[in-house]
Amino acid sequence: DDASAPTSAPTTSDESQIRTVFDDPNNFNVKHPLMNTWTLWFTKPPSGKGDNWNELLKEVISFDSVEEFWGIYNNITPTSDLALKSDYHLFKKGVRPEWEDSQNKHGGKWAFQFKEKKAVNIDALWLHVMLAAIGENLEDEDDNEVMGVVVNVRRGFYRIGLWTRTVGKALPGDAGKGRTFEQGKETLMKIGRRFKAALQLKDNEMVEFSGHTDAAHAGSTRAKAKLTV
Amino acid sequence: DTNKPVEPAQPTAGMQALKSARFLQVRNESVIYPEGIKSPNPALNQGTKSKGRQYDKDFLLQFKDVFKEKPSVDWDMKVKETVGDGSGDSARPSTGR
Repeated sequence: DDASAPTSAPTTSDESQIRTVFDDPNNFNVKHPLMNTWTLWFTKPPSGKGDNWNELLKEVISFDSVEEFWGIYNNITPTSDLALKSDYHLFKKGVRPEWEDSQNKHGGKWAFQFKEKKAVNIDALWLHVMLAAIGENLEDEDDNEVMGVVVNVRRGFYRIGLWTRTVGKALPGDAGKGRTFEQGKETLMKIGRRFKAALQLKDNEMVEFSGHTDAAHAGSTRAKAKLTV
Repeated sequence: DTNKPVEPAQPTAGMQALKSARFLQVRNESVIYPEGIKSPNPALNQGTKSKGRQYDKDFLLQFKDVFKEKPSVDWDMKVKETVGDGSGDSARPSTGR
């Protein structure tokens, strides 16, 4: 029909026509944008020779489309194959997955430990949590709470966590947003319930929230939970 | 001269497509997906403020077996340097995949 179309292109691939990866995985011309750019990080298990945390925490790659996510996911070591003391972290770009990051230091996390390691499909669970994060199913657009998600591989358990920017309190930079502590807490509870749904947990399997500084002061991540869903 | 001339790996068609593809305007362009492919749940993107970039799990999972391109030609080396092959310090021998 169009005589000016490049002759090398297949007859069906008019450039003005939308071609998704489902139409042609080798010659698509549109990709699905994510709301945020996400960065995947990896924590290497310590070698036992006194390595410092900064050398163990590595930035792997950042991405901002659905297609790119799957290219990465399909070509990276599955969680079930990772050595003990490894972590994957999937965080919004610009936020380091550490308590000390300025955007995390007033925050906390929802977390659940899977103690029966052989009984759970950790690869599917971690995938579903990542999809809930990048698909923006964990928070509503103005919540501005989700910082990232993390999976920890340990001897006795897998743990999946969701880091939030606050513990419900308004932060100094948030002046004017007019969110009361009760409203902030309700936002965290809503995010916790969605996180629990993404993990496909039963009602009686409780997901617990703790502030990062509580955990820091307790000297471990086993801080006492403030909220549960 | 220790620098053996190595033919640089060429990006695949899929890698190039990902790089050159433009972002879909999810709210303003209606995509007709091939038969059997579900569209993103429209309810997720009907909020007045939504940029149309929310996707439900069932929509996202459809890409799993469709797009398997490595992010770059040197990806395997990058994974080995950062994540390793999963063998860690264990006795498991590393397997060339």
